[in-house]
Amino acid sequence: MTGKQKKQIFGAIQTALILIAMFIMLVPIIWIFLAAFKSHVDVYQLKLFFTPTLENFSVVFDDPYRLGEKLLNSTIVAFVTILFAIPIATLAAYSFSRFSMRGETLMLVTILATQFVPAVVIILPFFVMFRDIGLLDTRLGLILVNLAIVMPFAIWMIKGFIDGIPMDTEEAAMVDGSSRLQVIRNIVLPMAAPGLLTSAIFCFIIAWNEFLFALILTNKDAVTLPIGLGLFKGEEGDLWNLLSAAGIIIMAPMFVLALMIRKYFVQGMTMGAVR
Amino acid sequence: MAEIKLNNLTKRWGDFIGVDDQSLHIKDREFLVLLGPSGCGKTTTMRMIAGLEEPTAGEIWIGDRMVNDDLPKDRDVAMVFQNYGLYPHMTIFDNIAYPLKVRGTDKSEIRPRVEKAAEQVELTEFLHRKPKALSGGQRQRVALARAIVRTPKVFLMDEPLSNLDAKLRVTMRAELKHLSRALQITTVYVTHDQIEAMTLADRVAVMKNGIIQQLGTPDDIYNNPANLFVAGFIGSPAMNLINGSVTDGMFVTTGGTRLVPVKSPDREKAILGVRADDMHVHEAGQGDIDVTIYAFENTGESTLLTVQWGKQRVIARGDRHLRKDQDDVVGISLNQDHLYLFDPETEDRIEM
Repeated sequence: MTGKQKKQIFGAIQTALILIAMFIMLVPIIWIFLAAFKSHVDVYQLKLFFTPTLENFSVVFDDPYRLGEKLLNSTIVAFVTILFAIPIATLAAYSFSRFSMRGETLMLVTILATQFVPAVVIILPFFVMFRDIGLLDTRLGLILVNLAIVMPFAIWMIKGFIDGIPMDTEEAAMVDGSSRLQVIRNIVLPMAAPGLLTSAIFCFIIAWNEFLFALILTNKDAVTLPIGLGLFKGEEGDLWNLLSAAGIIIMAPMFVLALMIRKYFVQGMTMGAVR
Repeated sequence: MAEIKLNNLTKRWGDFIGVDDQSLHIKDREFLVLLGPSGCGKTTTMRMIAGLEEPTAGEIWIGDRMVNDDLPKDRDVAMVFQNYGLYPHMTIFDNIAYPLKVRGTDKSEIRPRVEKAAEQVELTEFLHRKPKALSGGQRQRVALARAIVRTPKVFLMDEPLSNLDAKLRVTMRAELKHLSRALQITTVYVTHDQIEAMTLADRVAVMKNGIIQQLGTPDDIYNNPANLFVAGFIGSPAMNLINGSVTDGMFVTTGGTRLVPVKSPDREKAILGVRADDMHVHEAGQGDIDVTIYAFENTGESTLLTVQWGKQRVIARGDRHLRKDQDDVVGISLNQDHLYLFDPETEDRIEM
């Protein structure tokens, strides 16, 4: 066998492996995508050819499911979360990046460590606490919880981006006549903008997909989309066609956002690794 | 327009001493160069003047105001950074205009002033570009333009030429000199390059370990080095330092060669300093002493002979037409008007 042939065979094996892996990963998504446009009867037959219908999408928004309310809840919770998380995290990250504080490393590690606590462990205290102060089943309650979840990610990610801004640039701005706040506004924010956008989208995705806390802490008014999926149970069993339609509504914005940040996301993760 | 006074300035980080109780008076319109190896405290001194570093002790005066507690923005200085410190998200125009904008200069005044500054550093055609689209030398010019767009009391320049390639450095050096003569603003310039120091400075402060070793004109520093460090640091190639003693008014090398008469009382240990240019090369037997060539280098404008002298090697500069080879023997004589004697213990210069 010549070297060229060897290369071709390896190339073919590589492609085949990638296709198999892709197939395994994509099958559920393809299945959901197809099911969303099928009628209830068609779902249980693995037909690839069927008469597509948009009916599922209108049913899920009608009584008794009223997915619209859940969509609104999810949207408000996720947006308000990043609306607060990003500015606060930016200021925290700037301080961590630029000032040396007593116990700085400890603080940074502690912030990250909150992520290592399993959610199930702290969910009951949250439930009791929220019940006592009347935050159960409110969007505000969910926003607070989501803030606690996304802040550590946001701080660490944004810190990475701010670390990448050369100190010279900031010092030049200070000597040129800027106050510290002007430096942040005129120099740091514009330079870190791609990073801030990435972090915002990242946090949005986390908040949007958050399931466990929303499951325990809401029951009627503040139910979000992922919990809403549980509604699609009928006498005839799981209503897979409706579930799939709702699933697509949940996934669609994520696909768009993931595409937007793909480039920056990898950059953000590897930033500072090579210098 | 202002003078700068540093009074007993000290900077310490824990046990590490960056600048050790130094006082320095920089005159109005003077071009002062802080020269020294890396870690000698020159950049720290400059950063304290700029307000980017807080002194541990001592006073900094700019003009008739003590600025210790002033923020950088209130000190009315302009600084050029080693890595330029440009704002990558702004156009060259906005980069240069930034000091004016942030200080609330009248909008109608900004454009003509930016254009004038850009013209002085020959950047006019690049004003709409971003820094990314410029070469290193052009970026350096942007940094310069940003400094001169205002008329600050003081210019601070932190190794502004060190990121440029050798050829560009020489061109920019001349441009800097021209510009500083034209602007007549008090300037503090930090460098580890002694040629930059010699060519640009009105006065040079040579620093080592946080202490100013000598303060003087370039002539002074070159011709009257105060101690071994300054003697060894200034000049290219570095001054030859020969170990020996003074006996009966003669300098005797450790190898026992009675070399030259020196006007100094006898001492057991002494170091004789002589520059390569003050070592004349002759044919063998015609100089004060015969030596073997360790390496012969032709630089084009002159020749450099590294010769083995007992256990030491010294460098002599020869005529550009001189041709010798390794292991050849040549005669060397010393120019007795330009010899320096140092005390190896204190490292101070011994007057003679």
